Amino acid sequence: MTHRPPSAFLEFVVRFARNRGAVLGAVIIVLVIALALAAPWLIDKNPLRIVSRPEVWPFTNPRFPLGTDSIGRNIFAMIAYGARTTLMIGIVAALTATAIGVVIGAAAAWFGGWIDDVLTRITELFQTVPNILLIMTVVAILGQKIDNITVAIGITMWPGIARLTRAEFLTLKNREFVLACRSMGMSNIRIMAGEILPNAIPPVIVLASVIIGSSILFESAIAFLGLGDPNVASWGALIGDGRTLIRRSWYICAIPGLAIMLTVLAMNLIGDGLNDALNPKLRDR
Amino acid sequence: MAALLEIRDLEVDLFTRRGVLRAIDRFSLTVQHGETLGLVGESGCGKSMTSLAIMGLLPVPPAKITGGAILLEGRDLTKLSDSKMQAVRGREVGIIFQDPMSSLNPVYTVGDQLVEAIRCHFKLDRRAAAKRALDLLDRVHIPDARRRLDAYPHELSGGMNQRVVIAMAIACEPKLLIADEPTTALDVTIQAQIIELLKEIQRESRMGMVFITHDLGVIADVADRVTVMYAGKKAEEAPVDVLFDDPRHPYTRGLIGATPKPGDERRHRLVEIPGTVPGLASRPKGCAFANRCPLVFERCHVEAPALVHQAEGHAAACFLADQMEDCDVASVGA
Amino acid sequence: MKRSIVRRLFQIISLIIGVIVMNFTLIQMAPGSLLDIMTSEQQVTDPATLEHLRHLYGLDQSPLVQLLRYTWSVFTFDLGYSYRQNAPVFDIIMAQLPSTLLLMLTSLGVAVTLGMIAGVVASVKVNKVWDVVISLAAVFFFAAPTFWLGIMLIIFFAVQLDWLPVGGMTTIGEQFGPVGHVIDVLRHLILPALSLGLFYAAIYTRVMRASMLEVFSLDFVRTARAKGLSKTRVILAHVFRNALLPVVTLLGLQLGTVLGGSVVIEAVFSWPGIGSLMLDSVMSRNYPVVLGVFVLSAVVVAIANLLVDLAYYRLDPRIRSR
Repeated sequence: MTHRPPSAFLEFVVRFARNRGAVLGAVIIVLVIALALAAPWLIDKNPLRIVSRPEVWPFTNPRFPLGTDSIGRNIFAMIAYGARTTLMIGIVAALTATAIGVVIGAAAAWFGGWIDDVLTRITELFQTVPNILLIMTVVAILGQKIDNITVAIGITMWPGIARLTRAEFLTLKNREFVLACRSMGMSNIRIMAGEILPNAIPPVIVLASVIIGSSILFESAIAFLGLGDPNVASWGALIGDGRTLIRRSWYICAIPGLAIMLTVLAMNLIGDGLNDALNPKLRDR
Repeated sequence: MAALLEIRDLEVDLFTRRGVLRAIDRFSLTVQHGETLGLVGESGCGKSMTSLAIMGLLPVPPAKITGGAILLEGRDLTKLSDSKMQAVRGREVGIIFQDPMSSLNPVYTVGDQLVEAIRCHFKLDRRAAAKRALDLLDRVHIPDARRRLDAYPHELSGGMNQRVVIAMAIACEPKLLIADEPTTALDVTIQAQIIELLKEIQRESRMGMVFITHDLGVIADVADRVTVMYAGKKAEEAPVDVLFDDPRHPYTRGLIGATPKPGDERRHRLVEIPGTVPGLASRPKGCAFANRCPLVFERCHVEAPALVHQAEGHAAACFLADQMEDCDVASVGA
Repeated sequence: MKRSIVRRLFQIISLIIGVIVMNFTLIQMAPGSLLDIMTSEQQVTDPATLEHLRHLYGLDQSPLVQLLRYTWSVFTFDLGYSYRQNAPVFDIIMAQLPSTLLLMLTSLGVAVTLGMIAGVVASVKVNKVWDVVISLAAVFFFAAPTFWLGIMLIIFFAVQLDWLPVGGMTTIGEQFGPVGHVIDVLRHLILPALSLGLFYAAIYTRVMRASMLEVFSLDFVRTARAKGLSKTRVILAHVFRNALLPVVTLLGLQLGTVLGGSVVIEAVFSWPGIGSLMLDSVMSRNYPVVLGVFVLSAVVVAIANLLVDLAYYRLDPRIRSR
């Protein structure tokens, strides 16, 4: 038993590394994280400051490698700081969604009966309502602040996790090892958290990594629509600001969009790799 | 006149990531017109691979025919173009697969699938094809056939579905019928009925038949001649009576020992052959049966035995084939 | 089948009630009462008028009573009154619905058609060049924000090449005959439908490919080949037909998100529809309209699910006999 954790981890790494796309995704994400962390040292502290004349094209001035936007802000600075916003919101929202989804899914599967019925109905309800509408409404009601946006995304993204967790728990619930724990008199919470959850979690992790990508897309859409936090740099907001200038300076829209696409792409690739590494039975498809 | 089917030195290789593996190794067999050949061996011996090779339905890649010939009335099927081969499938050679429940498309009715098979080779309008489909269901003794035409596979039992599959295989009156473990997935009581049906159809239409199974008890019932296959090679071949009276290969003896004798009320202990068929990647240099053979000696590990002629139509691939006569069947493999 | 329709209807009703309860709760959480927002816009300060308005909108009653009254009125097709547009919410939404439906259905059409073709080609040519190209394209379109893709399409096809209009639904100030009008709308529809459609096409491509590959490995495919059918016929009549089932399921699941997606795309292309209405209403905190849009989306999704049930019933005989 003592040998298992390291060798299992090694096996996980080997399987993950076998998927070339996943490795590429991981490299991209590491670069984005590095950019986000290094932002305050790379460029000035406030990315929303006007630093130059507007509409400087990329690669023309070494001080502004990606040019400046419609009012003369440094696009590279906004991309770097935007990476912080994007990653923060993506990861925290996905964690929130996963936490809510796991609790609801696990409770539904474990208790069954009317609790299952009610929770499943609520899950369906959240699945029916278009995510973006709900996020817009929640943000409008709570106010356009970054933590509100994160919460809003988090509370709309959990149904998928809940359904998956419920299905996993249902299959695991009647396995011998769970029955054994029950007969030993273990408490519900201990069996669920200590025995079933570790077995149910791998597919949930895969889905959560994809939800990070979707959350990033939703954040950018919200910011693009003008419902974002006006006090932080956001890739989506930058695209929204650049829209008026697509005839002359289309790069203002193009650059942040590429950043979003690359980051989401990387998260999805990592999701594929995690799927290969964590669910070996599904490999070789 | 040429034999109905003659497989000559067939070689099938699997091209995998771990290298090229030989699945079928210089394997030959013949089937005469109107004759039933039993092809016997445990699972993993290459029986199904052989049947797919005849149909030209080997999964390519990884499998590929790398040598030999499959002659249907003298015409080499391995040399045919894909469209020529299409005209052979179903029309000249029919096949019945193991699991009737998954052999039929779940979203079409039994009638539609039969009509499709008929119209694939015969220029008939829908009405005439439907009439023929009805006749076919009658022929395989499906009760209330007219109603069954509109049934979906999931509405029928396994035995009924296998009758439908048989009807589909004989829909265009092929000269050769391949039955690839047609009863393995069925209940024991149904098995006997399906075998009776196949025998009846074979007798009436004078088709040649290759009956593939791992069950020697069934072979005794249906086959005229038997080919025993082991690890992609022929182990022994003989007329059915000779094979049971005078088996010359230890593997055949093992299989016979592992077969419950029909009518044997004492139900004496079945003698299983210990071990399993070696995997494709670990086929030994010498005799493939060496690791399980009770009579193994040094030569078996270094050299693969060739087929040795025993008598008219009887050959075995064992160094000790000639000395096997007086050996007690039951003792081998124990 | 009748029973499943009845069950669906029951589900639709419970779903609508759920949506109402959820949004009512949400709006109760909003800082400032509905009245404050309304009055701040119309600058009403007279206490008597305020009291009158409060009574008129039933805001002097407890939230529970308000909820019950609203729920009841929804089932009589009364979604309340919008002070902003000075019109019943139901009428406002119905006026915008057709253009949104047009955009949604066209996008879905693009997505399903492209996705199925690409998925089938990729599965037939699995691990060959075409599969790689298609799978890569799917990965990219799945990661690109739809609104950004829309802007890039505008930059390329409308601004640089000047082939298609930049936005809107009709050319303003032009008079066309009926045929000309249809062509004009179609020309305006192409880019928004593509922006939204390509994202979903990426999803359908992936699902279709996986589904096809799964069906390819089933026994009946081999049986069909053994009958002497051509490869093309086996792929189209046997494999494709079975591989369709998961795609249909997905279609039903996603209609709600397509409605959401069209909200964003409408903003990009100034498409006059529910999305523009919703954005305006959220910004101005016009909650009766917001609530109305939610109820409407629940109805749309419910109807879509009903249609998917019917399609499934036609496509899969195993469901029928159950």
